Amino acid sequence: MAPHPIFAKQAQKAKGFCTALLAITALVATTHAALAAPRHAPAPAPATAPSFTAEQADHGAQIYAGTCAMCHGAALEGAHDMPPLRGLFVARWANTPLNKLYAYITHAMPLMAPGTLPPQDNIDIMAFLLRENGTEPGHTPLPADENRLAQMVFPAPNALPPVKAAPPGKAPRTR
Amino acid sequence: MKRRNLFAASLAAGALAAGRKSWASVPEAAQAMGRTAPPGTVPPLTPARVHADQIMDIKVCLRPFRPAGPRLEIEPVADKIVVHNYGHGGSGWSLSWGSAAMAVERAAPLMEKRVAVIGCGIIGLTTAITAQRAGMNVTIYARDMLPHTRSVRANGSWTPDSRIALITAATPDFAATWERMARYSWQTYREYLGLPGNPVDFRDNYILSDTPPDEADHTEPAPDISKGSYASTGMPQSEAEFAKYGDRIKDIIPAAELLAGADNPFPVAYARRKPIMIYNFGAFGHALLSDFYQAGGRIEIREFHSPSEVADLPERVVFNCTGYAARDLWGDKSLIPVRGQTAWLPPQPAANYGVRYKGAAMLSKSDGLMVQGVNLSGLGELEGVGNSMEQPNRAEAEQAVAVFEDLFSRFRPRRG
Repeated sequence: MAPHPIFAKQAQKAKGFCTALLAITALVATTHAALAAPRHAPAPAPATAPSFTAEQADHGAQIYAGTCAMCHGAALEGAHDMPPLRGLFVARWANTPLNKLYAYITHAMPLMAPGTLPPQDNIDIMAFLLRENGTEPGHTPLPADENRLAQMVFPAPNALPPVKAAPPGKAPRTR
Repeated sequence: MKRRNLFAASLAAGALAAGRKSWASVPEAAQAMGRTAPPGTVPPLTPARVHADQIMDIKVCLRPFRPAGPRLEIEPVADKIVVHNYGHGGSGWSLSWGSAAMAVERAAPLMEKRVAVIGCGIIGLTTAITAQRAGMNVTIYARDMLPHTRSVRANGSWTPDSRIALITAATPDFAATWERMARYSWQTYREYLGLPGNPVDFRDNYILSDTPPDEADHTEPAPDISKGSYASTGMPQSEAEFAKYGDRIKDIIPAAELLAGADNPFPVAYARRKPIMIYNFGAFGHALLSDFYQAGGRIEIREFHSPSEVADLPERVVFNCTGYAARDLWGDKSLIPVRGQTAWLPPQPAANYGVRYKGAAMLSKSDGLMVQGVNLSGLGELEGVGNSMEQPNRAEAEQAVAVFEDLFSRFRPRRG
């Protein structure tokens, strides 16, 4: 199972050392309390995890800066009357098939001229949004194919692990 | 022509022409300071009755000043995620909604529906409501409920960059963070205008002076280098060390205008008028609590004695909105107390305005006429810094009251 994205970099560093297993175990143990426990996560793995390239995200960032940032903010922060594209955005789109986000961006955005961006720009904007919200780029590009997008969901890499039902009388507490 | 010379000239002209000091009668001088109020726009003002024997309460608060600016980061504690939201100095009321939005934004990717808020001051309540509006179920854990929190011992007006950070201690990107907070808050507060009981309202604030507003006694004294600075002493030593960001949002904040000559109803040479946003504690606190309960919020009274006690909470995401209490509870020794005191006289709805004069402020609110020494000692932003004396100082209150007693004893009301 892939390490939790938050720990992926650290875990990678530990690879190759004879202490790798120990290191990862210790890492997971110490951070389990803190953030998330991939070992307990019941792998909600969709048919295909979203994958995109850094080039796509970089291009998406350019399109974003020119077309989207005027409303959603240079840092995707939104404003009082403008939805942010980070933070709450993750909560709103997490686990939703990516073809739905793609369809929304394609049909509704940019608000002042909906549907005017070429498909590849919209795909790359999605790659940019994925990266800005904690998903690491990879080698496989995000496809401009709605059927394949339908097999992927918007990830919530920082979500806390599901709560395990505690045995009665015992508080689920880690000190 | 330098502004100071302009004012000197206008002063002379005014004195010659009318026998009364008035600088805005010279258009050039007015232009240098901003717009002059159109004649007739100053309504007949009922003088305020400000006397020491009318004081009904003296409240003291400790502003939670954090030189680096408010703490907004995420910290894992035990098996919880703590989202900090405290340390807003003299700007907690003003920045509350924006700071709450940022805290909730940080928490949202954790995808947790059920969250806790520690603290029920203005930061705790606005954070709780903002979390509800983002779809979370919220329980507030607090030692004290609103009437007893430090928040309601403030003066309750829009002061978004009052002791909010030190220039050298804040990160370079804090200015942009501040601006976002301030804009978000300002817009949210506007939603409460015009509601029953006027939880949020505006007052005309008259800023008075016997000397031209750009004279030496209105400018910050040069820093005394022998005293050192925050970097060398751990305490700010001059006003110039405090960050000021107000210019970043002047496009949405009503500006001051001059009251020229006969339009100036006050017995002082120089008067400006600026509409300011105020918070009426009773009505606004009630509105917030009602909103919170109606959205299904729950409040549990409990005191925390150490950060590890958050482990006992059933919620896994905890917003820490403990204000000055974070100094002891979370061991944040960077928090510096800044003492502030307000005296409260009976409400005077007929005198429905504010005045700033000789280092004192008066503000007519629905729950009382507030009188505060804001700069009686001439220390400016340094006044009260490092002072954690939370007991009332009657002499200071009477000194501030005396400023307005004197002013209004010389006031000659006009009949409309």
